[in-house]
Amino acid sequence: MRREKLGVLLAVTALLAAACGASGGGTPTTGAPIIFGAAVSLTGAQSKEGALTKQGYDLWLDWINQRGGIVVNGVKHPVEIKYEDDQSTPNLSATLVQKLITDEKAQFILGPYGSAATATDAIVAEKNGIPMVEANGAAQSIFSKGYKFTFGVLSPANKYLTGVLDMAATLSPKPTTIAMLTANDNFSVEVAKAVEDYAPTKGFQVIFTKQYPAAAPEVSGLISQAARLNPDIVMNSGHLAESIAINKAAKQLGLNAKIFAYSVGPSTPDFIKALGADANYVFDGSQWTPQVKYKPAFYLSVSDYVKAYKTKYSTTDDPDYHVAESTAACLAFQKAIENAGSLDATKVRDALVSLDVMTFFGQIKFDSRGINTFKPMVVEQIQNGAHYTVFPLDVANGKPQYPTPPWSSR
Amino acid sequence: MSQFIQQVILGLLLGGVYVAVALGFSLVWGILNIVNLAHGALVIVGAYITWALFTRWHIDPFLSLPVDALALFVIGYGLQRGVINRIIRAPLLFTFLLTFGINLIIVSLLLLIFTADFRSVTPSYSGNGLHLGNVTIPYIRLGGLAVALLLAGALWAILNRSRIGAAILAVGADRDAAQLVGVDLRHMYALTFGIGAAFAGVAGGIISTFQSITPTAGNPYTLQAFAVVILGGLGRVSATVAGGLAFGLIEILAQSAPGLESGYANAIAFVVLVIVLVVRPRGLLGRLA
Repeated sequence: MRREKLGVLLAVTALLAAACGASGGGTPTTGAPIIFGAAVSLTGAQSKEGALTKQGYDLWLDWINQRGGIVVNGVKHPVEIKYEDDQSTPNLSATLVQKLITDEKAQFILGPYGSAATATDAIVAEKNGIPMVEANGAAQSIFSKGYKFTFGVLSPANKYLTGVLDMAATLSPKPTTIAMLTANDNFSVEVAKAVEDYAPTKGFQVIFTKQYPAAAPEVSGLISQAARLNPDIVMNSGHLAESIAINKAAKQLGLNAKIFAYSVGPSTPDFIKALGADANYVFDGSQWTPQVKYKPAFYLSVSDYVKAYKTKYSTTDDPDYHVAESTAACLAFQKAIENAGSLDATKVRDALVSLDVMTFFGQIKFDSRGINTFKPMVVEQIQNGAHYTVFPLDVANGKPQYPTPPWSSR
Repeated sequence: MSQFIQQVILGLLLGGVYVAVALGFSLVWGILNIVNLAHGALVIVGAYITWALFTRWHIDPFLSLPVDALALFVIGYGLQRGVINRIIRAPLLFTFLLTFGINLIIVSLLLLIFTADFRSVTPSYSGNGLHLGNVTIPYIRLGGLAVALLLAGALWAILNRSRIGAAILAVGADRDAAQLVGVDLRHMYALTFGIGAAFAGVAGGIISTFQSITPTAGNPYTLQAFAVVILGGLGRVSATVAGGLAFGLIEILAQSAPGLESGYANAIAFVVLVIVLVVRPRGLLGRLA
């Protein structure tokens, strides 16, 4: 009985293999698939951000394969992305990237979510001489180690909240005092450090700085301390969970600032859904918004990108910047491979070094460390439950609502 | 001074949450000798029920707490009777493995059902509070503390003033002797676990009002429940209450300690835990084993 079943199974497998072979052996203009590897957080504390990262990669994957793949010297190579789940654990992420390279034969690596995981993955990419383009690790410390194979398409951490300060300097009456809360991970600390350095040059005074443990968002003690000082601007450099907790605690404890600005969180639809009307007036520094006006040299325009996202994921939500920057990492690889005219790791790496291209996400060009310092950050504000880009003025589609009314009169 | 009073109050309010989380954990550990690593996941199941009722039918989070309790009681009873009971007499390591596995399964199921989106319950009165001079007491957190103390009172009454409680304590003291005098062991085990899960569910409902919830948000609560039980001591409801309030107080005061980076708040809480273990191994109010 069991032997018969095995026989049937073998026969079916053989037939399937034959069928695949027949369809796979296409015209000579189609080359072998290019294998990308990515270890993203599909489970664990950062599964939300990990899922957004994967969405960004998959959007490009569909688009490029509809076109038959990446063109290398006139030959179209279809693309495959092999995923692993790093369970939001940076060390596991590095192990998985090695596995992707050795076992899954990944030729190129797309980055994970988060600065911590990116930092560990960069070591593996470097050791194996495999180029990695990452879209979700903004800490500059990743790029200060002299790695030659790691590139980041996003603006570095120090730009996240300084744009909010540039905007605040144009407002009237001008806010002057800042309370700065910071999660103690490498990315968040860099964001906060940049604010502390930049604020005095724009005439602001940082009157309160406190760190809290990352991913342990019990912040009521800190918020009550900040509330005593009555700061004009409350800034948080952390992640989505902490942004929500801080906004809730600020309301509960009567912390009435004129500007609330959080580095990560308000740009996601979750922030508005979780907080309802309490999300209004909150500012954030964003890598990208669906309102920006860039003229891309290839791939989709900004509005087509938003449309493609909504269609593929059957949603009415706009793609947030995590999705867009992840797609941009794929675009950097595509252009670099086309420019290199080769799939050789070192040649593609060299093409990445000299890459300079405009996309829907903004300009992609790397400085000597591998960071995209050429793309500006934009400032968003949530107004009546929707995102508006409010700064810089040349890409804005709304005006800042200022000052934020006190909680009691909302 | 008012700053200090404010911090103490916030610490006690946070402690209330820890009490609610740890009561069920402590009961299951004390009676069944199971360190339930899925406890935090059960907390989050309760949080999701409150969130779903609030978003879909605008049911006040505090009114949905009984629903959390009931649903989690049923889940807990079934889980114990159907799964955990099979290894109830196995070495502690097996219960670790099994509850760890259950935790993974619950978290993955939540991920499938609710996705990894961040959710939170924000009722209209979430910003209201009692203002006494410079000190603010947010109502929503005060409600959380009140519910936690009510739960503690209820658990004490069940254990010390009811026949079922007597049977549960008997099972905890000596399984075989309890069986000899006619206690239905399997039912009692499941009942105990069900009550523990129900308390976890209520704690989850409270948590959903001031923090964001995701499928994985429960894991830290398992750790905190563990710390609270060690700190307070095993075997008494009052010990869990003392442990929970103390743990919350330490965490908040560590955030505002002058000259100390508040990033170390968690570390300080656990250092205190280690000191208590060294100086007083049975916890603040625990019974001698």
